[in-house]
Amino acid sequence: MQNLNIDSIKKRSFDAIVIGSGISGGWSAKELTGKGLKTLLLERGPNVEHIKDYPTTNMNPWEFKHGGQITKEMRDANPVASRCYAFNETSAHFFVKDAEHPYIQEKPFDWIRGYQVGGKSLMWARGTQRWSQYDFDGPARDGFAVEWPITYAELAPWYSYVEIFAGISGNKDGLAQLPDGEFLPPHEQSCVEKHFTDVMAKKYNGARPIIIGRCAHLTQPQPIHLQQGRGKCQHRNICERGCPFGGYFSSNSSTIPWARQTGKLTLQPDSVVHSIIFDEKKNKATGVRVVDANTKQMTEYYAKIIFVNAATINTNLILLNSKSTRFPNGLGNDNGLLGKYIAFHNFRTTMSAEYEGMLDSTTAGSRPNGSYIPRFRNVFKQETDFLRGYAAGFSASRMTYNDTSGIGEDLKTSLSNRKFGNWRVGSHMMGETIPKESNYVALDDKQTDAWGVPLLKVSVAYDDNDEKMIKDFHEQLTEMYTAAGFTNIRTHDNPNKAPGLDIHEMGGVRMGKDPKTSLLNKWNQLHACKNVFVTDGACMTSNSTQNPSLTFMAITARAANNAVEELKKRNL
Amino acid sequence: MKRRAAMKSLGVALGGLVALPAWANSWTPDSIGNSTLLALNDEILLAEIVETFIPETNTPGAKSLKVQQFVQRMIQDCYDDTAKNTFKQGLLKTEELALKANNKPFVQCDAKQRTDLLLQMSNDAATKPFIGLVKNLTIRGYTNSEYYLVNIAKYNMVPGFYKGCVPVG
Ligand SMILES: Cc1cc2nc3c(=O)[nH]c(=O)nc-3n(C[C@H](O)[C@H](O)[C@H](O)COP(=O)(O)OP(=O)(O)OC[C@H]3O[C@@H](n4cnc5c(N)ncnc54)[C@H](O)[C@@H]3O)c2cc1C
Repeated sequence: MQNLNIDSIKKRSFDAIVIGSGISGGWSAKELTGKGLKTLLLERGPNVEHIKDYPTTNMNPWEFKHGGQITKEMRDANPVASRCYAFNETSAHFFVKDAEHPYIQEKPFDWIRGYQVGGKSLMWARGTQRWSQYDFDGPARDGFAVEWPITYAELAPWYSYVEIFAGISGNKDGLAQLPDGEFLPPHEQSCVEKHFTDVMAKKYNGARPIIIGRCAHLTQPQPIHLQQGRGKCQHRNICERGCPFGGYFSSNSSTIPWARQTGKLTLQPDSVVHSIIFDEKKNKATGVRVVDANTKQMTEYYAKIIFVNAATINTNLILLNSKSTRFPNGLGNDNGLLGKYIAFHNFRTTMSAEYEGMLDSTTAGSRPNGSYIPRFRNVFKQETDFLRGYAAGFSASRMTYNDTSGIGEDLKTSLSNRKFGNWRVGSHMMGETIPKESNYVALDDKQTDAWGVPLLKVSVAYDDNDEKMIKDFHEQLTEMYTAAGFTNIRTHDNPNKAPGLDIHEMGGVRMGKDPKTSLLNKWNQLHACKNVFVTDGACMTSNSTQNPSLTFMAITARAANNAVEELKKRNL
Repeated sequence: MKRRAAMKSLGVALGGLVALPAWANSWTPDSIGNSTLLALNDEILLAEIVETFIPETNTPGAKSLKVQQFVQRMIQDCYDDTAKNTFKQGLLKTEELALKANNKPFVQCDAKQRTDLLLQMSNDAATKPFIGLVKNLTIRGYTNSEYYLVNIAKYNMVPGFYKGCVPVG
């Protein structure tokens, strides 16, 4: 009996445990197994195996029951999830359904999640811009949040490291506010995007560059990608169904199979991490408590180090729920700041227009990417009455339509003669929001979910800074559009649109130099519990304006590398 | 006028950055199965209405492509009660007006009588929403059918490339 128990404990003991198998967890698993650690990768959702578990990936458009549209029943049952642009009949199976995973919105917040092996790396839009030193300098310079404990220079080699493996396409633009990376060939800009780029270069003397977006697509696979079993991007533009070519980066096609090849990985789906076990005698974490998603049985797993990669808000939830005598308010939470200073990207507004020129040209094929307007406000110095700034997506494509005015044979003829309208241009704002103590997540003290985990309360909202930024975006883009000769300029702001749909939530377990004002040190270790690492968006001290996931990857690879070294030195 | 029609057929708010690809809304009679929304005689009536909008010529019309099934399926699953009501009342009204104008049910009217009736209904405030609803869905069903996408739109799931600037035509 005694021996049986010891055997069972042995079976449940690993060198490392990684919680969550999405973008950051996939990288943790790859790095840790790659360095020889026997690693348990825990995922609350079901397994999704590359290609095999992409049920809609090769379906023709006419094979969908509702032509791709979400049914009314589905929409009514999922008011939050169905507000995400990528939630449709072809991809809904990868999104969390509202009723299955409730949370409490103290203030409206659209929390978009993917609970499965691969997490949101399956459905993401794959925009991958590096952050710059100006982003890391922000808090110290402007006085919001706390100072970052790391610099761009420290992270740069890790950006290169993850870019080479993931495969990032882009152009070397030579911009201080948007450092170049290790790029595969860039996508092309459309003629009107080029026109906009050219006009802006002249009008603003190079201060407002417009570039082709950088994105995690294999435009020209390298040997390292072929070794992963991935191939060239086929420009299908139906990425959120999962790509059978591995044409874009996902954990499923890239990091997880790579980790598996080492023979060191144990991937365990359907495993809801309830909390982290803290051993007071050893003064460190010894493992995690896992609720089986189906049987609801709780089991403990043990390891020397633990990487928390459950995606920002769930990472906060797990740490808050990891209570012990030593940490009554959540693991590592000596200063009471855990769950606070959550921030996001302001995606509330878009601007559209038309261009009545270049009517003899159009685009061909399709492009899983767009152009990008790097942040041009308050970069080198503070120049407006709001803090920080915004980047924006920008794209231009030719409108096509059919004349639908007739009836009978006339109508039928019109329908087979697609006509070209003007060029249509659009831009969506991506504003940096300021991390504030009043933007927080916390545990509800009464209600729990189906797995016995307390429900999370989310209290996150826009502030005046965001409103000022939106106004500036409208003004600046109107000026820029006008200069480029665009007409029918429209702003589409909806003040009732809740935060969250950016799906770039960050913070709550921020890094910093001082344990009094931050939770993590510069190596992503909890100040107060050094063998627990947080390397997803929860660790972000501030937010930048760029898409964050590439930075999650770089920070994760850096932290995992250091963790293994510390382990070897017997410091953990 | 044409410009307005163009906007309408785009069907998406101009603010959205991502234009829906042409195939993003499509279907097949097999994929949608039978709808239970209408009784058989109403379904026959609907088939003749969609056929009046997009008739058989030397290529298939809406009826043989079973666009009526698509229209029903969409209204049943994707539309609210107001639209469902507009739809059902509209079918009754069509039948009533056909009897009044031509002394026979819609399905027995000739092509010209049917066209005239639908045009008249599209100009009457009371029946306009019904005609708009069915016409839009007929167009959507037709232009997103396998027949149309493969043969007319030359749909290709895997273009394999993107060119930012090519001459029109
Ligand atoms: C439609 C869409 C578009 C996007 N576009 C972009 C973009 O262009 N660029 C960009 O940078 N980012 C984009 N994102 C955001 C990007 O997907 C996320 O930033 C990224 O996936 C976060 O990585 P992560 O590892 O923190 O979390 P995820 O990838 O979400 O993975 C977290 C995993 O942890 C699991 N988990 C959670 N709780 C537990 C628990 N208790 N126990 C066990 N497992 C748990 C989850 O099931 C999930 O699999 C987009 C997201 C979406 C949905």
